[in-house]
Amino acid sequence: MKTILTVFKKELLDTLRDRRTLLTAIVMPALLMPVLMYGLSQLTASIMEKEENKKLKVALMDAPADFRSKLDTAKFEIIPGIDKEMGRDQILADSLDALIGFHSKYNERINDLKSGKVEMWFKSTNIMVKGRLTDIIDDYEKGILDSRIVDLELTKDAIDPINLIRYDIAPKNEQIGQMVGGFLPYIFIIFCFMGCMYPALDLITGEKERGTIETLLTVPASKFNILLGKVLTIALVGLSAALMTILGLVAAVKFLPDLPEDILEAMTNIVGIEFILLLFAMLIPMAIFFAGIISAMVVKAKSFKEAQSIVTPMSFLIIIPAVIALLPGIELDWTTVFIPILNVALATKEIVAGTIQPIHYIVVLVSLIILALVSVGLSYKQFSKEGMVL
Amino acid sequence: MINVQNVSKTYQLNKQQKKELQTTASSINAVNGISFECQPGRVYSLLGPNGAGKTTTLRMIATILKPTSGKIDVCDLDVEQQPAEVRSKIGFLTGSTNLYDRLSPGEIVDYFAKLHGMDKSKSEERKDMLFTRMGIHEFSKKRIGQMSTGMKQKVSIARSMIHDPDVVIFDEPTSGLDVITANNIIELIRQCKNEGKTVIFSSHIMSEVDLLCDDLAIIAKGDLVYKDSMDNFRSEFSDISLTEAFIRVVENASNQQNA
Repeated sequence: MKTILTVFKKELLDTLRDRRTLLTAIVMPALLMPVLMYGLSQLTASIMEKEENKKLKVALMDAPADFRSKLDTAKFEIIPGIDKEMGRDQILADSLDALIGFHSKYNERINDLKSGKVEMWFKSTNIMVKGRLTDIIDDYEKGILDSRIVDLELTKDAIDPINLIRYDIAPKNEQIGQMVGGFLPYIFIIFCFMGCMYPALDLITGEKERGTIETLLTVPASKFNILLGKVLTIALVGLSAALMTILGLVAAVKFLPDLPEDILEAMTNIVGIEFILLLFAMLIPMAIFFAGIISAMVVKAKSFKEAQSIVTPMSFLIIIPAVIALLPGIELDWTTVFIPILNVALATKEIVAGTIQPIHYIVVLVSLIILALVSVGLSYKQFSKEGMVL
Repeated sequence: MINVQNVSKTYQLNKQQKKELQTTASSINAVNGISFECQPGRVYSLLGPNGAGKTTTLRMIATILKPTSGKIDVCDLDVEQQPAEVRSKIGFLTGSTNLYDRLSPGEIVDYFAKLHGMDKSKSEERKDMLFTRMGIHEFSKKRIGQMSTGMKQKVSIARSMIHDPDVVIFDEPTSGLDVITANNIIELIRQCKNEGKTVIFSSHIMSEVDLLCDDLAIIAKGDLVYKDSMDNFRSEFSDISLTEAFIRVVENASNQQNA
């Protein structure tokens, strides 16, 4: 135990002085959520505002005067003399935003109380164009509809026979679980893995590359204790990276200004003490599992470069189950509860939603502990092979 | 004292290694049934060309590698049966050994003192003595990454000697070092001898061997081809230089191995 603690303390001190590890394991995860939440919301708002106020260049073909009058000249520039072919070419060339064409018999059909054909050409890649023009067409259509109701002496209820009122009784947490519950574990699982990766490369392969392993193997301590001290340090850094992601989220919710109220409420509900404790209990064995498995893989590598080429493909194996958890309809059941990583992601989703079944949570936890023990055993098996460590 | 009896080391080769060594054999013998004995207060030199099996032999003595056959005792302790006890008796230093760049000399030496199970007061006393003797105090707070090769080598020595080992193993300790730094090592070997420690070192630099060595063994292609005291070696080859003598022994052995 004394040896494990000695190795752990030394490796932790060494790791905390490594800027690259600090950046990957502490700074990046802590900043990610605030940057994502604040930065993206500000960026989106700024883009939307800009696009909303942008003066659109619109060409009209055979448009009735009352429709033309709906287009505010401050927000729309009407480009005259453009036919369908020219319009399509100019939209593709980005010199025109949209072309709206009214059918030749449009007025006649409207007057006969029939529907008139209106065509609109635009590029969906130019955001807001479709929405802004559709709003105007809808408003114009509403005017026609109102005048028909008056002319035909109908009431509005007569043309809207069903008054559908929807009540979403899903608790707020469940709605949030559905929306962000899958995304959250995706982020902290990746950071936990990355947090383990850099110290593992440094503490295992680095000993070989620097030529310090020989001296370490001539101290009267067991290889298992030396390895365990290293694995625990690696796991702690990985765990810190995952926790920093959560702390970043808490900080963003508490301190960032101008967050939409529903997002703020949702996030405040997520980051409660119960959520953090339940998550923490899963993160510990998961971090040890990552630390053990990465250590086992990099023991035979003779250089950082070789170790990176061994571990990088593994990161895809971690990402895949985390991505699967994002898919709708994938839930924690008696099959998924045994699939590593996927079970953590799905359990997190259900913890957020408040729908986790205690038995499922216990099975996830036990399976993670078993995996952690197996991975440490595997890394020890590799570390004890004399051909591997020298 | 070190007692090596009929020790062999065989490595199994994987496909990649077979390809690199251009051989179809499934294994290679790095060391073939060698035997020798190192006495306390004497310096034993293990000589041989590159790849002869010197490092493998020293690593087996230091318990880093297990012998395939034979027996090694260090201070009457069997390296296979009592590896931890053996490790507490040995200090190990190589010319290519590096240190932890982000730690200071004090932190590194404390780390190894703890791994050797030394109590705090004893390790502090010993550290102070070693740091004073080698002039490490003046840069003891500096990180290793900011130090010169000479400074690093002094720290390496302090780290290897912190637990006051009875047996000191040096694997090509001056390899790649400048003259001044190499001289520190030579001084250290002398001190160890004077303190009555058992010293074994590998080298292929005959001038070092001439300066330090009491007994020597020459290994070529894993076989022990010569073993005697330094005085007897000098008188046996009195008509030629030590380097020429070394080459002659190795070439004769090679001819016999090929015959």
